[in-house]
Amino acid sequence: MRALPQLLLALLLTLVASPQGAVLLGQAIGETAAPFPAERLLSLALAHSGLALAGAGAASMLGIVLGIAVTRPVGRGLRPMVDAIAAISQAVPPVVVVALSVPAFGFGLWPTALALLLYGMMPVLRATTGALEAVSPDARAAAEAMGLPPRDVLLEVELPLAWPVMQDGLRVALVLSVATAAVGALAGASTLGTPIVLGLQNQNAVLIVQGAAATAALAFLAEALLLLGGSVARR
Amino acid sequence: MIAFENVHVRFGTAEALSGITMMIEAGELCALVGPSGSGKTTLLRLVNRLVAPSRGRVFVRGEDVARLDPAKLRQSIGYAMQSVGLFPHRTVAENIATVPRLRGWNAPRIAARTAELMALLHLDRSLAGRLPRALSGGQAQRVGLARALAADPDILLMDEPFGAVDPITRRELRTELRRIHQATGKTIVLVTHDPDEALELGTQLVVLRGGRVVAAGPAASLIAPGADAFARQLLGGTQPGLRRFALLPAAASVVPEAPPQGAPELPAEASLADALSLMAESGATVLACAGGSLHAEAVLRQA
Ligand SMILES: Nc1ncnc2c1ncn2[C@@H]1O[C@H](COP(=O)(O)OP(=O)(O)O)[C@@H](O)[C@H]1O
Ligand SMILES: [Mg+2]
Repeated sequence: MRALPQLLLALLLTLVASPQGAVLLGQAIGETAAPFPAERLLSLALAHSGLALAGAGAASMLGIVLGIAVTRPVGRGLRPMVDAIAAISQAVPPVVVVALSVPAFGFGLWPTALALLLYGMMPVLRATTGALEAVSPDARAAAEAMGLPPRDVLLEVELPLAWPVMQDGLRVALVLSVATAAVGALAGASTLGTPIVLGLQNQNAVLIVQGAAATAALAFLAEALLLLGGSVARR
Repeated sequence: MIAFENVHVRFGTAEALSGITMMIEAGELCALVGPSGSGKTTLLRLVNRLVAPSRGRVFVRGEDVARLDPAKLRQSIGYAMQSVGLFPHRTVAENIATVPRLRGWNAPRIAARTAELMALLHLDRSLAGRLPRALSGGQAQRVGLARALAADPDILLMDEPFGAVDPITRRELRTELRRIHQATGKTIVLVTHDPDEALELGTQLVVLRGGRVVAAGPAASLIAPGADAFARQLLGGTQPGLRRFALLPAAASVVPEAPPQGAPELPAEASLADALSLMAESGATVLACAGGSLHAEAVLRQA
């Protein structure tokens, strides 16, 4: 049961994020403001998940495609450039991307989706190139010598052997995406960042705790589900 | 079957092969022998277009390989190498079935062929479902060889296929290769840096040095007095005369006359070296062989 710690943490954080839990915690630090209602928190969690999934999905697709492209003989020359772009896109904080893209896309989902895409691409790209480069050169040479066309070498030998390591990259991308989707609230997207922003505006620490705990709970839950999914797929 | 026409191969500024012109006839077991870095692997890889000549042409079955589809060409030629390169995520049976599957054989035909090959290479049926990491070195080599033979190619390329196994297994595998060659009549090109292996297996030998062919022909002719000094030294070691005698059949020197009373008996398939050895042991100068007599003078006349 590899995912047990993540599941327990998610449960604990959910308790903290619940109105009752948050009120209790608020009393402990001398905060008496009203908590965020549970059903609103739940619908924000759903919207948050959808946004995070879309961002991580796009980041994974782009990262895998680029990772495959730069490990082919024809794409090898692009490798330094692609690596640099991925590194820059992760170095720029998502909040900056959101802020900079509001003028271009307007308020709402799109600035956040772009930020998640850029932020999540690098772990997937890194994992994909690393995993493909770690594929046994003997197996690849044998595949080529036996007459597998390049497409089959990729699909039947390289990707199956690289997949376990690539999965780690996908998991990192999804967890990052869930954790950073909260930033979207700044651009008006409905996410678990919304209570945090409200709390900051109204100086209500209970709301901040709820939003932060719920975001973290969702991130751990996502990782746990991926770990479980991965071990089911291996069976 | 395979022909090289003034082939040069250049890697960067270094020339790995220079002006190779030679033929390998159908049914030969051609051993490419030479020191490390002499170009053996490069010469082998020209045949299935894993390496392209920078000058000259390579013909396989009468066709210039540069005009053939590389994937199709490679599927039609078996390939086995020292590092074997079994697919770690595929079972033994799936590994063996690689080329038949590429060629679209149906499942029953593939299953029958896999079973046949496992029997041919003395691989226990229970290994079929195993992954390569659960095989011994010798078993992995056998699976690699079975995979190379799977689609019944008429040409088999082998790059130091027995280099990574222990001496006893190597001996077994050599015997098996010779058996397969004799039974199937395939054209086999075998790269080796081991002169003994080349002498034991090759019906034709090609000696490479610094990217050039320095000698080619049947083993005995390459050790004979007057042959290329490098080849003679490489293949003959310090006793080229005896090495050569080990390759020549005694029966050819037998005369049809009754052997003297009590002459030691030499088996009909023995070599001239066997004859000398028996003479050295028994002190006799005439041996009984294949219903005739073998005289010491006749043996030495072969020198
Ligand atoms: N892909 C390659 N790139 C550059 N140099 C190579 C390559 N393959 C072989 N060579 C060089 O060509 C020469 C012959 O190599 P090779 O055919 O592997 O020799 P052998 O198999 O006899 O040991 C060596 O000097 C080797 O370094
Ligand atoms: Mg070599």
